Amino acid sequence: MWQINEKNEKEFLGGKTAWDMAAEIAEACAAFSLDVEEELIAEEEVSCYNCRYRRWTAETFVCLKK
Amino acid sequence: MQILVCIDDTDNIESRGTGELAEMIRRSMEEKGWGKTQHVTRHQLLLHPDIPYTSHNSSMCFQAEIEAALLPHVISYAEAFLARECQQEADPGLCVLAVDGLTEQAKRTVINFGYKAKKTVLTKAEAYDLANQLEIHLSEHGGTGQGVIGALAGAGLRLSNNDGWFKGDHKVGRQGEAMTVQRLLSFSAIDQVKSVNGACLPENDYVVIGNKLKTVLLEGKAVILVYPEDLGNGDFIWKTCEKKQLREYEAKMNCVADK
Repeated sequence: MWQINEKNEKEFLGGKTAWDMAAEIAEACAAFSLDVEEELIAEEEVSCYNCRYRRWTAETFVCLKK
Repeated sequence: MQILVCIDDTDNIESRGTGELAEMIRRSMEEKGWGKTQHVTRHQLLLHPDIPYTSHNSSMCFQAEIEAALLPHVISYAEAFLARECQQEADPGLCVLAVDGLTEQAKRTVINFGYKAKKTVLTKAEAYDLANQLEIHLSEHGGTGQGVIGALAGAGLRLSNNDGWFKGDHKVGRQGEAMTVQRLLSFSAIDQVKSVNGACLPENDYVVIGNKLKTVLLEGKAVILVYPEDLGNGDFIWKTCEKKQLREYEAKMNCVADK
C-alpha cells in the first residue's frame, strides 16, 4: 500500500482513484483528521483522500504523519 | 466596479484553510457595507515537486462589486487580515484585480497565466511582471511570498468563468430524493443544472440528489453537474455528480483548455 519515495516520504501506491483502499486505511488510522470541506474528494468521509495529512502529488499522495 | 480577490498559501497543515480565510474576508466586506460579494471558488493549480504547497496547491477567489473609491480600503483590509491570520510557515499572496480596468486582451493574458499555472512551474518574477504590466494589485505577506503566483493564477482562473468549484455544499433535499430542476434552481447560489456532456437540463426534468451537492463555475454560473445513470431498460435517470466525478470533470476541462 505504501512505498518510501526518494524524499523519504510515505507514498501511497494506489494513486488517486483507489477509493476503497484509501477508506480502509483511514478507518484503521489513529492519525486521520478530516480536511476542510473544499478539499474533500472522497464520498467516504473517513478516507486518506480526505485527510489533512495527505499531500497530493502529480500521481498520488504522500502521508505526512510519521 | 467589479473586482476579484484571490489568496493563496496562507495555511499550514494544522491551521484553518485558505478557503475559510477567503470566506472571512468576503463576509467582512459585506458586513462593512463595502459592496456585494459572490461565493468563494477553489482553483486547482499544478502539483509538482518544485512547488512548495502545503497539501493541495489550490487558491481561493471571490468576486465583489464595490465603489471604485473603496478599492484601496479593500486592499488594505485584506493585507492586514493576511498579515494577522496567516500561519508563520505560510508564504501568503494576495491578488486584487479590478476587472473593469482591464482590456479584453489583458483579461486573456491573466486567464492564460491561470491556465499556465495548472501546467507549468511559474516564478514570482513572472507573476509580478504581469501584475505590474497590467496594474493588478499583487502582494506577499510573509515567508517566501510564493503565494503571489497562485493568487494571480486563481484570479485569472476565476476571470475565465470556467474553472473550479464553489466552497461549501448545498443543503438541498435528502440523499436519494428526486427533485425537479425547477426546484433545484429555486435555491440560492444554484444558477443552472447541466449534464457532464454540456447540455442544460430543462426545468421539468428530475434529478436524484447525491451525498454532497457541489456547484462548479461554468460560463460564470454556479452549476450543478449531473450524469445519466442507465436503468438497464433503455431509460436513464439524472444523478448529481459526486466529488470524484467533479474532479474527473475538472481534469477533462483542463485537457480541453490545453487544446
